[in-house]
Amino acid sequence: MAKKSSLPGFNLSLGYTIFYLSLIVLIPLSAVFFKTFTLSWDEFVQAVASPRVVASYKLTFGASLIAASINVVFGVLTAWVLTRYEFFGKKIVDAFVDFPFALPTAVAGISLSAIYAKNGWIGSLLDQIGIAVAYTPLGVVVALTFIGLPFVVRTVQPVLEDLGAEVEEAGASLGANRWQVFYKIILPAIWPAVITGFALAFARAVGEYGSVIFIAGNMPMVSEITPLIIITKLEQYDYAGATAVAAVMLVISFILLFAINGFQWWSNRRLGHVK
Amino acid sequence: MAAANAHSLSQYAKYHNKVGRSRATSEATWVRYTLIGVALLFLCLFLFIPLAAVFVEAFRKGAETYFASLTEADALSAMKLTLIAAAISVPLNLVFGVSAAWAISKFEFKGKSFLITLIDLPFAISPVIAGLIYVLIFGLQGWFGEWLSDHDFKIVFAVPGIVLATIFVTFPFIARELIPLMQAQGKDEEEAAMVLGASGWQMFWHVTLPNIKWGLLYGVILCNARAMGEFGAVSVVSGHIRGLTNTMPLHVEILYNEYNYAAAFAVASVLALLALVTLALKTYVEWQAARNAEETEREITE
Amino acid sequence: MSIEIKNINKGFGSFSALNNVSLEVPTGELVALLGPSGCGKTTLLRIIAGLETPDTGSIHFYGKDATERAVREREVGFVFQHYALFRHMTVFENVAFGLRVRPKHTRPNDAEIKRRVHELLNLVQLDWLADRYPPQLSGGQRQRIALARALAVEPKVLLLDEPFGALDAKVRKELRRWLRRLHDELHVTSVFVTHDQEEALEVADTIVVMNQGKIEQIGSPQQVYDNPATPFVYQFLGNVNAFEGRVNAGVAKLGALEVPVKEFAQTHDSAVQAFARPHDIDISRDASAAAFKAQLTYVHSAGSVVRLELKRDDAETFIEAELTREYFSQLNLKEGETVYLTPRNVRFFLD
Repeated sequence: MAKKSSLPGFNLSLGYTIFYLSLIVLIPLSAVFFKTFTLSWDEFVQAVASPRVVASYKLTFGASLIAASINVVFGVLTAWVLTRYEFFGKKIVDAFVDFPFALPTAVAGISLSAIYAKNGWIGSLLDQIGIAVAYTPLGVVVALTFIGLPFVVRTVQPVLEDLGAEVEEAGASLGANRWQVFYKIILPAIWPAVITGFALAFARAVGEYGSVIFIAGNMPMVSEITPLIIITKLEQYDYAGATAVAAVMLVISFILLFAINGFQWWSNRRLGHVK
Repeated sequence: MAAANAHSLSQYAKYHNKVGRSRATSEATWVRYTLIGVALLFLCLFLFIPLAAVFVEAFRKGAETYFASLTEADALSAMKLTLIAAAISVPLNLVFGVSAAWAISKFEFKGKSFLITLIDLPFAISPVIAGLIYVLIFGLQGWFGEWLSDHDFKIVFAVPGIVLATIFVTFPFIARELIPLMQAQGKDEEEAAMVLGASGWQMFWHVTLPNIKWGLLYGVILCNARAMGEFGAVSVVSGHIRGLTNTMPLHVEILYNEYNYAAAFAVASVLALLALVTLALKTYVEWQAARNAEETEREITE
Repeated sequence: MSIEIKNINKGFGSFSALNNVSLEVPTGELVALLGPSGCGKTTLLRIIAGLETPDTGSIHFYGKDATERAVREREVGFVFQHYALFRHMTVFENVAFGLRVRPKHTRPNDAEIKRRVHELLNLVQLDWLADRYPPQLSGGQRQRIALARALAVEPKVLLLDEPFGALDAKVRKELRRWLRRLHDELHVTSVFVTHDQEEALEVADTIVVMNQGKIEQIGSPQQVYDNPATPFVYQFLGNVNAFEGRVNAGVAKLGALEVPVKEFAQTHDSAVQAFARPHDIDISRDASAAAFKAQLTYVHSAGSVVRLELKRDDAETFIEAELTREYFSQLNLKEGETVYLTPRNVRFFLD
């Protein structure tokens, strides 16, 4: 399979890689589909398209979309500020962007719900103007924004760093003003990274469980996310139903993953830098 | 004279790298400060306040309650289980990561990019589903459920299930860190070692490993943080048996649902501290790796 | 005068990049800023472009003070060392960029832009690449597109930062001849930065030799090569043999050699540096008081001239000499032979 190479260990390393991958990931994942196929078509539709489940899709995908969009705006801004400006404490802020990756989701969940509850630090302020965050769909958006925060920053930041001052200077010397330089030169250069970051944040948000369930309130039809539906069904010993919903989510995750990888491959080729 | 010149040159380069922006490519001061202000406000709202809240809530009932909730038997056994899960899953994924990165970065074969995508799979999958798949296989109704119960061996709702779920969710971390690093390094040095008569293992220990050590450490740090903090996947397979199958994040959930907020936040604060340590280590490693890269570059240019 | 630079100073931290630099660039000339890396030549070019601001001093364009003028209002074309092509735009869009970003009332319409871009692409002989993206081009092609892009805005001054630095030797030679022809056609005042003396000598009308933030000499290629003003210029331009010695009352003593130097008649015992080009070294088998005794250690006979390496008898240093092939075969020298060397056209600089 491999072209002739002078280095040893190809068969061993690739063999072990495939063995371990199959054992831990592929075979267990296939169980989802095998289990789903034990359902008849009607049972499957019943499981994945009942009103309560559909409401959860709407919430999960809608909130993920909003959260990822918020992260696009503030992620690009944060990446810009971190690459372009000097300010006190910048190194710490930069390191801190990864905090949502490092903090266990359950901790994020209880902390956010404490802050945004009616008697919490921010919740009490918002309560005065009549906005409730905790135990509403808005709470779901807050939690998903938190866990998706690093993605856009970390995909855009290296591209901004790599984008040498030279192209911007070239733009300026050709007569472009600062705004023209931004939207004609910088934006086209970073948008593949922005899209990638958006998609990663979205994909992560769709599957998120730990940080959401504490702040969501989990009211059926209103603030119940799809991963929670799976758990609820499992607790009711409806294994097939849980699996059917899981299969739907898995298919969507696969599509997202392949789309992201395909997109990265395309944009790398198109923009000609090897990553 | 030459040395003095080189010194001033490097000073010049340093200055240029640091400021790096001429008047032509920077914004007016008020724009700059507005952008910095908005970005910091956002980060403050979403990062610093949640972190601060954990510690404030944890100490709301005083230090005594705080330490009591940490030294209570169930909390201690949760910590122990969390450490066990991490201690098993990190080394296993480490071996896998090195092996996968070796095959992918040093050899050409068909389906390579598909394999990379497959390795990424666990990142794309909801942790709830990660737990579910092991229930489907090892649960009572699962493929091996009957056989396991006949032999009185429990995987789901027991420690092995928690370990398996943890391995699954942390599966790609180290491989993902190493693959691009080793691809960028190429295989010149390994080939040189082989030409000089090194055996496969000698080459690996003396050439490959020193080159990837920072990347490896980086992957281990991230992998470990996720392993200790995983919630969704272990929640599905744990069965929530207090003192037996509860990891720290699960213990937090139970305390929280029992309205024992102070205790919940006390345990959570340990996890938050762990996150901070992770960030600090991660930053240190990045710093070291950057310094190494810089040194190598300087060696090349000089 | 197109460009007048007066008393420019520029520092980066404690490092002084430019030290009281003044320079005039006549309209229509092609000027080379030549010097080793770190000498301040790129900083000077960037100050002319407005990409960098001088600490003190002023710049005038066609008699008007342009020191405070922003880069986009200076009407300069800048060709960057690594081209800085916009990789997400086609070649056509790259060249059209400067026209498209103009304010509405001065922006040409699409048909006019199209005409102008194709005209420029024809000028650089790359019209057939209009729809490609920069990563698909070779280095030489990128260079020419970068030039076309800079010319599209009809700059009053064209500035080029190491224009051929990133190209391989063969392409570099072709391109610099092409640039020279192009300049003869367009006559746009141009300044380019280079560290390659051969490039500067071949292409430029005027060479400005810089070192450590100062201008060492300004002159035509012939002037700077034949009459270097300072020891630095002597050593930086072309090969040269350097001799250390002392001078006293009109006589310079370089090792075993004594040379009368009229202009130092009043000088009392001070150190002197002397320079002679390799083609100004006469070789003879006959002993003479006005010659170095030396041993021929190596002969490089590949090339249009024969280069000899000779070890001085009176010092642990080597002298390089160049002979025509005919003269070399006439002399019939062998490696290891002892010969006598007389430098001609020696230039002396007091330390």
